[in-house]
Amino acid sequence: MARLFYAALIALVGAAIVHITVLFLLPSFSDRDAWARLAEAADFYKPVRIDAAAGEVPLVRSLDPLFYASACRFDLADGPVHVHTPGNVPYWSVSIYNRGGQNVYAFTDRTTDTGLLDVVVLTAAQMIETRKQLPEEFRKSILVEAPVGQGIVVVRSFVPDRSWQATATRFLRDVACTRS
Amino acid sequence: MFKTVLTIFMIVCIAVLGGGASVWYMLNANESVGAVTIGGWTAFPEIGTPDADPYAKARMAREGVLALGRAEGLTFVAQRDSTGEQLRRECSYTVEGPVPPARFWTIYAADADDAIIESNKLRPSALHSYQLLRRPDNSVTITVGANPSPGNWLALSGAGKMSFVLTFYDTPIASSTGVADIELPEIINAGCNG
Repeated sequence: MARLFYAALIALVGAAIVHITVLFLLPSFSDRDAWARLAEAADFYKPVRIDAAAGEVPLVRSLDPLFYASACRFDLADGPVHVHTPGNVPYWSVSIYNRGGQNVYAFTDRTTDTGLLDVVVLTAAQMIETRKQLPEEFRKSILVEAPVGQGIVVVRSFVPDRSWQATATRFLRDVACTRS
Repeated sequence: MFKTVLTIFMIVCIAVLGGGASVWYMLNANESVGAVTIGGWTAFPEIGTPDADPYAKARMAREGVLALGRAEGLTFVAQRDSTGEQLRRECSYTVEGPVPPARFWTIYAADADDAIIESNKLRPSALHSYQLLRRPDNSVTITVGANPSPGNWLALSGAGKMSFVLTFYDTPIASSTGVADIELPEIINAGCNG
């Protein structure tokens, strides 16, 4: 009896170890996460629409149906990434995600004085270099120092009603995601 | 000898299967660590951030979600009405009560797979606060159901389980001022078809 109890205890401890191991390894081995889905759809620095309006199935789940969104993957090892689009919509927001799809930085159109979307994502080292001599094209940009290597930048645009669909579509179509 | 090998085999089996099954169960359960519950509404303010708990991180990796940042907004989900009954698509509901400060907010009904329920009518399947009719005291009453109704109507279709998704954008409640102190509208069952 004591032997059985002992075996059950070991099995339980083993189950706990497996539980914790699986839990912590899952994010790094998942092939269904946002990064993997985007990688299937488009290459680095290529913005792709992720909402349901652009295709039959939304690329990324749990998006508000009143929003259009576009995402592009970047790698800061190649240099800072510059994301900008002309035009204006009632509300836009920008999120920067790390490789694992965790939101590390987000801001809305209220952050800017002009309401125009123009953002540069860079690492701490690149920030120092860029600040030394600010390139002309970054003069009006928001500089975001993000603790990521590879990552995803998502631009969301609010579509209050159908009359705004064309404007929001144009806004996201013109999103440029370039390395510099 | 054989008995020992069998015991070890059983222990390994139970450990692997039990460990795997418990993770699977935890990831499918809606209640999780870090959830904030207000009335019937549940939010995960930390989901999708590096501060999230390991369960939320694993769930996100499995589902491919890109969560809203704190500066962007906060999403509440309700699966039960004020009496604790599961929300159903064949029923009508009245959503009324105070809403916290936000630049704007949106509400829509989602099916069991978290996909939006299309109204199948010439009506938007989601409502937002800029287009709602308000009472003199600035509060909002929304009727949700398949049958047309005056005032603010969120059209439904089909049958089965559903949930309401209420998202506040550009709101101070998402930052650290304390999500638990806010008040959210109540979901009242107004009758079911069949």
